[in-house]
Amino acid sequence: MLENLLPPLNDHNLPYPDTLHPIVVHFVIAMVLFAVLCDAIAYFTKNTRLFEVGWWNMVFATVSIFIAIIFGQIEAGLATPYAAAAQTLNIHSLIGWSLSALLASITGWRYIIRLRDAQSLPKAYMGFNLVLTLVVFVQVYLGDKLVWVYGLHSAPVVEAARGGLL
Amino acid sequence: MIAHDLLMSMPLVQLASANGLPYSIPIHPNLVHLTLGLFIVAIAFDIVAALYPLGKPIFKFLAIPVVSSDLYDVGWFNMVAAAIITFFTVAAGFYEIILAEPSDDVLSPWGLSASDTMVWHGVGGVLLLALIVGMTLWRGFQRYVWRVDRARQVQWVYLLAGLGIFALMFLQGTLGAHLGSDFGIHITADRLLREGVDPNTYLNVLINPFNF
Repeated sequence: MLENLLPPLNDHNLPYPDTLHPIVVHFVIAMVLFAVLCDAIAYFTKNTRLFEVGWWNMVFATVSIFIAIIFGQIEAGLATPYAAAAQTLNIHSLIGWSLSALLASITGWRYIIRLRDAQSLPKAYMGFNLVLTLVVFVQVYLGDKLVWVYGLHSAPVVEAARGGLL
Repeated sequence: MIAHDLLMSMPLVQLASANGLPYSIPIHPNLVHLTLGLFIVAIAFDIVAALYPLGKPIFKFLAIPVVSSDLYDVGWFNMVAAAIITFFTVAAGFYEIILAEPSDDVLSPWGLSASDTMVWHGVGGVLLLALIVGMTLWRGFQRYVWRVDRARQVQWVYLLAGLGIFALMFLQGTLGAHLGSDFGIHITADRLLREGVDPNTYLNVLINPFNF
């Protein structure tokens, strides 16, 4: 009864044409990696104007990750993962939420550092930049597996699942 | 147990080719994250910088100290990075197009066959690369030659061109999405299904030796 109120699902099992989560994550992946690169260049070359570029990219990434999680949860809920894919989806969800906490904390820390002295970064912050980069890489790898190995939300997988073949 | 798992992972070489590539995950879609993220954010920050007088109270409310020239720096450096990385995005895209084995028995939501979609996506990729490099040069001339002494460091028409390129990127991205999630090009599970293999049994053991 209630499901009649929801929009119909297409052949990707979505109420809209294509998955949105992989688009929103552009702004987390690219901005985090570029922020870390800018911080590193500024740190080692004393070109301090790049610290500002790093900071603003981190702000953009932090806002984006929460939007990414919202669409990620919606699309994970509609993914109907088969047995082989389920574990990867679980870990991707777990790391995704954790990454939002890590990213928001580092950006908050950066906000305070920037208020006090926008011209330099402590060594510990650079260390956390490295940790953040590694977690982003792991998370991208897992997301890649969901899309490119398991084919979640791809038309052939949705068709097979609906036909009871998966 | 670990030795057993390692043994089970041996056919990974064979499995890597199950998606039609010599590696298990396509490279092009990952570089696309960087191209789009960097370009869109570059234009977005130039727009915010150009409208800085309007946005000033918002930054003040958020208690974030801002100098508009720093926002323009994001517009410039992100654009330079987008231009550099996009050469690799396009190169990886063409490599993976060459290795694609499209079957033309289905049509995309836009009524195109897989082959036609690949052609349009390839043409679009080269066009966008040219536009991104052109925008970077344009931005560079504004920054270092034409508008060095201006408070507003970019022309309105440059920002407008950026918004136009967003529209092209939307079309290009949708074509790319059709190639992946409609035609299943380079998606392991889709190719297994087409060959009548259940990805559940096949992928569970071979690609997931550590269940990760």
